[in-house]
Amino acid sequence: MRTAPAGRPPRNARAHGVLVYFRTMLIFIGIWFVGAMLISNRLLLPSPTSVFWALLDAARDGDLAFHAFTSLLRLVVAMLAAAVIGLPLGLVIGLSRSWEDAFELPIELLRPIAGIAWIPLALFMFGIGNTLPVFIMFYTALFPLIIGTAAGVRGTDRRLLAAARTMGVTGMPLVLHVVLPSALPSIIVSLRLAVAAAWTAVVAAELVGAPSGLGYAIEYFRSMLATDHVIAFIVVIGILGSLTDKLLRLAETWLTPWSRDRVLP
Amino acid sequence: MMPKIALKGVNKSFGHVNNAFVALSDLSFDIRAGEFLAVVGPSGCGKTTVLNMLAGLDSPSSGQILLDGVAISGPGAERGVMFQDYALFPWRTVRGNIEFGLLYGKPGQGVSSEARRKRVDDAIALVGLSGAENKYPHQLSGGMRQRVALGRLVANQPDILLMDEPLAALDAQTRIILQEELLRIWGQDTAQETRRTVMFVTHGIDEAVFLADRVVVLSSHPGRLKAIVDIDLPRPRNGETRKSARFAELSQEIWELIREEAYRATMK
Amino acid sequence: MKWLAIRLMSPVGLLVLWEVLVRLSGSPRAPSPSTVFVAAGELIASGELLAGLSTSIVRVLAGFVVACLVAVPLGLVMGAVRSVERNLDPVVESFRPVAAIAILPLVILWLGTGNTAAIAIVAYAAFFPVLVNTISGVKNVEPSLLRAAHTMGLSPLTRLHAVLLPAAMPSILVGMRIALGVAWTAIIAAELAVGAKSGSSGGIGQMMFVFYAYSIQLSGIVVCMAAVGVVAFCLDRLVSLCLTFITPWSNAR
Repeated sequence: MRTAPAGRPPRNARAHGVLVYFRTMLIFIGIWFVGAMLISNRLLLPSPTSVFWALLDAARDGDLAFHAFTSLLRLVVAMLAAAVIGLPLGLVIGLSRSWEDAFELPIELLRPIAGIAWIPLALFMFGIGNTLPVFIMFYTALFPLIIGTAAGVRGTDRRLLAAARTMGVTGMPLVLHVVLPSALPSIIVSLRLAVAAAWTAVVAAELVGAPSGLGYAIEYFRSMLATDHVIAFIVVIGILGSLTDKLLRLAETWLTPWSRDRVLP
Repeated sequence: MMPKIALKGVNKSFGHVNNAFVALSDLSFDIRAGEFLAVVGPSGCGKTTVLNMLAGLDSPSSGQILLDGVAISGPGAERGVMFQDYALFPWRTVRGNIEFGLLYGKPGQGVSSEARRKRVDDAIALVGLSGAENKYPHQLSGGMRQRVALGRLVANQPDILLMDEPLAALDAQTRIILQEELLRIWGQDTAQETRRTVMFVTHGIDEAVFLADRVVVLSSHPGRLKAIVDIDLPRPRNGETRKSARFAELSQEIWELIREEAYRATMK
Repeated sequence: MKWLAIRLMSPVGLLVLWEVLVRLSGSPRAPSPSTVFVAAGELIASGELLAGLSTSIVRVLAGFVVACLVAVPLGLVMGAVRSVERNLDPVVESFRPVAAIAILPLVILWLGTGNTAAIAIVAYAAFFPVLVNTISGVKNVEPSLLRAAHTMGLSPLTRLHAVLLPAAMPSILVGMRIALGVAWTAIIAAELAVGAKSGSSGGIGQMMFVFYAYSIQLSGIVVCMAAVGVVAFCLDRLVSLCLTFITPWSNAR
């Protein structure tokens, strides 16, 4: 349609962007406010102000920090476990035909089963506690990581491999300095997808099978009929989810400064 | 004197036995030590296949390719390759690309880090990239990328330079400038014994005539040796060379050799 | 032969490992491959599995259609008119990271636990992938195509349906494919959570939880999990078939 301005937009354009952002959010909150007044049922739709007070309340008594920290810690543990298994597995699957043959079938059979569908079985295996949400997130994150890594490795430019070989670079250095860097953009994109999917899964997992965490908190406050607290915690889930993604995007530009066009699903 | 590289009855076909595509048929020629040999021919004559086989990335279906009398069995650091689209590592800076072989490959074995830095600096200066060391390939123009590829090639100090249409992607002015640069880096001002052996694949006839000591002309479908033309233009060559009558004469001679096939190729 | 052996090695190994672990654990409730096969036969024969699946699938399709009906027109406008996109983007970006399952408690409060609530959850989940991909599809239409259409004297409305829509279609369909996958996960999660916390909801997700909570033997859960996987696979194949059928010129997959 229009040609996008290259690089960083000029300062007044950015200021204008901030202005538009706050204007839109103000209008949205205004509509919410009016709607809450018209409905005038705190149980169905609390006003923005009462949600704000609920948020402050949760922040003051430490509930917010506790549940948010618990969920984030579980996310980190699950992602580390998924990376430790998924990245090497994706690497060997991408590098070797026989490894691919050996793992393709179980991966293709397990992958369509959503992590969330494991919750009842995980309840039986692990009971309610920390293990269940971590397992569900681990499972959810594992497949995007394996597949993204394998695809990145397989997509290594054949000419770059040839160039390295003509310089006498073979074996481990070839994997370390040609295959891995070339797969890195794809790995980071799959990492972002994996984190986003895991963050969705953690809410469901904690809602059913954990005594703490953000998912547990919204379900707890729902059962207490404290809708303002429910919405406050939904806001927190949204903010943390988008902050994690922003962080990974930063890591992306920092780790792969050479890849200019990032196509995102 | 033994040739640096000898091709003896080389055949190359791709695909299965029954519907094989014959790329090269009974190809024999020599490359002498220190000579600049250009290979020209219409598209489909198997120029790039020849180069890949010399690089050790591909092997002949039958026949022999000898390097100093020994059959080539794979890539080797004594043969450096410059690829058609440069094959620069996008995640490494100009410097990172040029030092790649010295860091991770055979050419760097036994080289101290100080000597390595010196060699990389020299290569950067030689190809005129001082000041751009920390840029990434995507930040460079086509001509600059070509210089990086050339710098990477000379930093590894191979005996033999194999170049696959390295200037094809450049615009006409840049190409002319880089042709002269290439001759300078190869060492056309020095004695023949100190020069390195070059095989330069191109589809540009005037480029081949301007650069080479001899031009191998191939015919296409399948690739066969059509002629080897001695280029008796004096060195050093420069802008004056292009204006000489002999330059035009030699170009015309080679063009006559491949005109008919080149024309047929455009009608396919 | 060797190729087949390599491919079958790990699935068979996993099955054997599973069976051995269950035998070793000595738990009477633990499902093993052999009990799962028996349970699968029973659940299919009794029609329970099919009933649960069809409830969930109908909900997903209904919610998916609702999402598309809103997201595609909105995405077309947001993609084509810069000012609309700028002004709506903050709200979209605020809601996008909030998972459908997180708003489940609110939806239960507003709409109860029946089909309407289920469809709302699915529609919310499917909405964002369709919207985002429609916007990017429209924004990535070759400007020269629109200029060409303009010079040929096409009216704005004709330009919309003759140029913009077909040019953005591959991207829209990719969004729909992602959306359907997300929607299927969301409905399982919602039925599971509702089944766990507030009683009946129907569907395959609730069925799984009922097996967990009330059944002596848990093989039924594994049967449901397998069914969830099979449906996810089939839905994806279906959309990808539609993709090649509707936009044969595209290679976006």
